[in-house]
Amino acid sequence: MPSIRKAACHFCSWLLLVVLLSIPLSAAEITLEPHIGFNGLFQLGRPFPLRVDLANSALPIEGTLEVKVWKGGPTKGTEPYALYHRREVFLSAQSRKSFLFTVDPDSISRPLAISFSSPRARLSKEIDLRRYFSPSPLTLLLTENSVSPPIPIGSASPHQLVSLSVAQLPVAARAFQGVSAIIFYEQSLRDLSKAQIVALEQWLSAGGRMLFLGSIHYALYQEPSVSRFLPVRVAGLKKLTSLPSLEKMYGERASSLRDLWVQDSKSVGGTILIEEKGTPILVEMAKGRGKVLYLSFDVGRPPLSRWEGLSLLFRDLLGSAEERRYDSQPNWDESVFSQLLLNRSFISVYVPSRSFFLWILFYLGGLGLLAWLWRRQRFSRRILVPCIFCFIIVSSLGGYLHFDQGGNVPDGVLLSSTVLESLPDGYVETQSNVALFSTQRRHYDLEVEGGWTDFEPVFPRFGRSEDTALVAQEQGSSTRLRFLLREWDYRLFKIRSMSRFPVRTEIQNQGDRLLLRLTNLTTRDLTECWFVMPGQRFFLGDILQGSSQTREFPLTSQRGVLRDGPSNKMDLREIVFNDRTREILFRHSFFAQDQSAARWGGGAMLFFGWVKGATRPVWVDDRRILAYDYTLFRTIIPLDEDTDL
Amino acid sequence: MKRNPVFREGIQIYIIEGHGFVVYLSVLLILAPIEFLTLFLPSLDPQIWMGPANLFKVSSVAALILIVYFGLRVANQEFVPWRFLSLKRWLHQERLTASEVAQGQISLLCLQALIFVLLSSPLLIWAGAIARTAASSILFTLLLLFFYPLTYGLWGLVAVALWEHRMENRQVFIRCLFVSLVLLSALLYLPLNPVAFLLYYLERREMVPLVLGGWRWPAPATHFLFHFFLLGSGLLVYWRTLNRREVYL
Repeated sequence: MPSIRKAACHFCSWLLLVVLLSIPLSAAEITLEPHIGFNGLFQLGRPFPLRVDLANSALPIEGTLEVKVWKGGPTKGTEPYALYHRREVFLSAQSRKSFLFTVDPDSISRPLAISFSSPRARLSKEIDLRRYFSPSPLTLLLTENSVSPPIPIGSASPHQLVSLSVAQLPVAARAFQGVSAIIFYEQSLRDLSKAQIVALEQWLSAGGRMLFLGSIHYALYQEPSVSRFLPVRVAGLKKLTSLPSLEKMYGERASSLRDLWVQDSKSVGGTILIEEKGTPILVEMAKGRGKVLYLSFDVGRPPLSRWEGLSLLFRDLLGSAEERRYDSQPNWDESVFSQLLLNRSFISVYVPSRSFFLWILFYLGGLGLLAWLWRRQRFSRRILVPCIFCFIIVSSLGGYLHFDQGGNVPDGVLLSSTVLESLPDGYVETQSNVALFSTQRRHYDLEVEGGWTDFEPVFPRFGRSEDTALVAQEQGSSTRLRFLLREWDYRLFKIRSMSRFPVRTEIQNQGDRLLLRLTNLTTRDLTECWFVMPGQRFFLGDILQGSSQTREFPLTSQRGVLRDGPSNKMDLREIVFNDRTREILFRHSFFAQDQSAARWGGGAMLFFGWVKGATRPVWVDDRRILAYDYTLFRTIIPLDEDTDL
Repeated sequence: MKRNPVFREGIQIYIIEGHGFVVYLSVLLILAPIEFLTLFLPSLDPQIWMGPANLFKVSSVAALILIVYFGLRVANQEFVPWRFLSLKRWLHQERLTASEVAQGQISLLCLQALIFVLLSSPLLIWAGAIARTAASSILFTLLLLFFYPLTYGLWGLVAVALWEHRMENRQVFIRCLFVSLVLLSALLYLPLNPVAFLLYYLERREMVPLVLGGWRWPAPATHFLFHFFLLGSGLLVYWRTLNRREVYL
């Protein structure tokens, strides 16, 4: 009996332990606090940062943090689909962590849903985004000054001004897309993380605008973290008794400004827009498509803080929100994809026509032989009947295994075609068109290189309503997109990013001839390069990495004839390449036939070449998926005053 | 069954003497190029990449039509008709009962359908593998390919029993019957049609149920009920005709 009682006690204590361990954490032990946009504001239709603070007041917990936004819908002409941003999180006991996301809902009529789930707890929150949006772009102000400078931005532009600290700046360039300008005033940037610096630089090169306002605390502007962005080297302070250049621009309003302390500096690569007695007052520097402006005045202190012309000055500095230009965007839809798949060499990648033909020959030949043996009665029919059965079964199974598991039929084919559109200062705008074609029903993990600024799924004309959900997972320097594809299905995407690709193209008009100097400072070779000018095209061959090439082209035509004349249009379709797929992409995507781009007019010159071994913007880590990448570098040189022929 | 003289006669003519090889070869020689060209030739459809996806569907439909058509012709004794003994002789001179004759002819029809499916199966299985069709779908298709020639082929036996010495009548009858059944089923209610039903099944499309007298009949059930009715009515007509011939001849 005592042993039975002891066993019962043991059983009860184990049961109690199991019950205690299996009690789920109550939701109150995990708290979830979202922070939308920039201090609760974001521009409608643009990506914005989302910070989720998770606090754990109990035992360590591991789970998944998920943000669900709705994409597509009537405004995009497609069926709505869910995009999940997912992050694996671990919270130690009594801890608090922040998680940064960049989200881009296409519609704010549906709430944004945030959820944390683990085997022990589940928590979710829905946010109505209609309370947070701004119809116009935002202007961010970063200052450590407790009294912000009186920036009369309200009257200067329709942009909303939002004050932020450095720590609140996003770490993804994409999150800045709803920001038209960032103003720095007496702000140390020492605490900027590397990711924040990279994000700021990418946003800048993609068309962002930075404005550094000078201050009497000039030492802040000498910090390497600040001076890396500045178009000047700040030396100290200088007193100016009068500002004739400013008076010239703003009339009598500027005449009241006397005995003003300004930062003394020297321009480094920028363009001085206003200069007083050798001191740069307003300097502008282009960075890719973006701009950095430096104003040496201290607008936060008198007399400038009380100057009535300040709003006019800011209107000029901040300007109107410049829409991003995407001239001659590559065409990317299912018609281009069809053209690619019409290519026999491409089809042979995933269609085993040859082996199928050989299997048919083998089968019909084998049956024919057995029938002949049957008719000739060379062997007994007791032997031939099992032989025929075995032959049919072996053929069926052999062929099935060959075509299902082998046969060089890949699970999918990934094709990326990229155009590197040259920008000033060695930057390029990378426009990648991606197609993933599946021969199997399976999940795919598409890795997108970090730093992308825009990601857009392209839907077919006849939209599919099922299996359209996407799961985005940030993983170190890349983003992983997970989605389901049915057999013989495909998905198209457009990805845009900014990067460095220093290929310099210089043109000099020397009267009767044109001098073209090309310098390839990249680590990739440019192959099959062409130069197209009004009425003429020239094959330049390859330009190897680190090399330069100077070519002279005779200008035989008259000046007037070269401009805009219909006869000067050059048909780009006549250009042929060694690779058929390149030709298809060139004619149907990069310079689409149905667009005017197919015929190159007299308004600009064009240089292009294929990049050999270019870094892939997207990839899939799976040997069962064949990947092809085609990258074209191109420079479009408008015929302006300098290069006018 | 081996002892059934009607069945043995069919085995002797079609298989041992090899007169059936021409029929089997015809099915294969039509089916194989259809399959290969479906895979090889780019279609005019802009969704060209769907070519391999349609391979199994196209092959199955082609096999279905070929097997049913040739099954009907074989049942109708259109190949080497002079080699077959007449029903009159079986029933009166050889002293076979109508039941024995029916058993022999129906068994021969089943064997022919089985041979057709067996010979076509490698081509269909490969097409299924290339098109990534599920193994269960391939198996179901093969079962359907066995079922339809029985259902329609039985009417070939009916024709033989009705107009044994009027070859032209039989030929016209079975062709008209086949075409009209296929057309009428497609016009009246599409899932009744074997080709449409197979395509619906392979494309995993939902079939609209038949609403009749306030009752909703699921499409697959309606399809199989119709074909079992066809099979049953064929059996009934065939049985009654054979019995009448046994009594009156």
